[in-house]
Amino acid sequence: MITAEQKPIEEIREMIAPYKRILVAGCGSCVAECAAGGEKETGMLASTLRMAAKMDGKDVVIQEKTLDRQCVNEFVIQLDESIDQYDAVLSLGCGAGVQAVAEMYPEIPIIPALDTEFLGETMSQGLWIENCLGCGDCMLHYFGGVCPLARCSKQLLNGPCGGSMDGICEVNPEVPCAWQTIIERLENFKALERLEEVYPPKDWSKKQGRGPRKIIREDQQR
Amino acid sequence: MTSDKKPVLALFYCQNTHASGEDERQALEQKYGDSLKLFPIPCSGRLEPLHLLKALEDFADAGYVITCPEGACRYFEGNLRAKKRVERTREMIKSIGLEEERIGFLINSKEGPKPLTDLADEIMDRLANLPPSPVLGPSVQGRATGSRQRSKGDKV
Ligand code: SF4
Ligand code: SF4
Repeated sequence: MITAEQKPIEEIREMIAPYKRILVAGCGSCVAECAAGGEKETGMLASTLRMAAKMDGKDVVIQEKTLDRQCVNEFVIQLDESIDQYDAVLSLGCGAGVQAVAEMYPEIPIIPALDTEFLGETMSQGLWIENCLGCGDCMLHYFGGVCPLARCSKQLLNGPCGGSMDGICEVNPEVPCAWQTIIERLENFKALERLEEVYPPKDWSKKQGRGPRKIIREDQQR
Repeated sequence: MTSDKKPVLALFYCQNTHASGEDERQALEQKYGDSLKLFPIPCSGRLEPLHLLKALEDFADAGYVITCPEGACRYFEGNLRAKKRVERTREMIKSIGLEEERIGFLINSKEGPKPLTDLADEIMDRLANLPPSPVLGPSVQGRATGSRQRSKGDKV
């Protein structure tokens, strides 16, 4: 899923300062899972902003609505019925959600309330880790299901670098050495010989360099 | 002006905490009247920051939660969660310049558990000198009896 964190309140208040009727729009998918932009967080942010406005003696309307998915037009369109009441939308969607709303309602400023972070996994309650860069050419089968691009600090395809100590990365002592994990996994299914192979440098053209990527599936289209 | 007015407290409490039944509740309501709004909850772990924020936004000068002693939560860690959520809420109100003291929690004692009435008294004493909330503003006269508040026994 896509992970995100709420921006500092001061920054959000600065961004919404010029507006008088604001819709705080949450998203019930990825950003709800990572407790950044779901219904609860949307309610909390809206309530906090209303209190701040009252304390400043500002006459503003701040209302909230959470869509099931902010990055899918079929859900965004649910804002049709009320969007005219507002002069700005403060979105708690990820970057894709914010842009989907902006695309649908180009005449209204859409303001991001979150900083979108990474593609990640919920490791345990309240802990999310980055484990995929969306490179466009997945190689996880070579590496025992551990992505060295996302999880090795040096993004080595031919690791380990030799610097890890007790299974901990030499660059960042807070993370396990990805290559140590890869070796343990390969050992588990007796495939250590894969380490003999030399992997060529990553072809990043599948990820970037040609503008936004696109997926077209005719079987899914109308 | 409301300067001589007593602060209004929204008090959430775990129904499993010592002596927190109907009698205690009625006694507190009689004693404090509109200055105290009681919200029994099945476990303090059910408390969300949003409950506290909405209380501050709508009617309360302060919002507190009373939890069972550490290690004594019927649902194992509800009270630890409540503590963390209170901390999170405090950070949020602080970020808009509201005093952190408006949000807090009280853990009942394991060795000498106190009845709800005593714990509520302690919190009310703590808040005696709390200035009126700038969120509610001086113009909100008689707000504790206003229509925006929850009615007694509302579930959270
Ligand atoms: S190899 Fe590419 S697609 Fe596969 S997990 Fe790593 S970054 Fe993601
Ligand atoms: S210690 Fe391991 S994870 Fe860290 S840079 Fe070296 S190979 Fe990569």
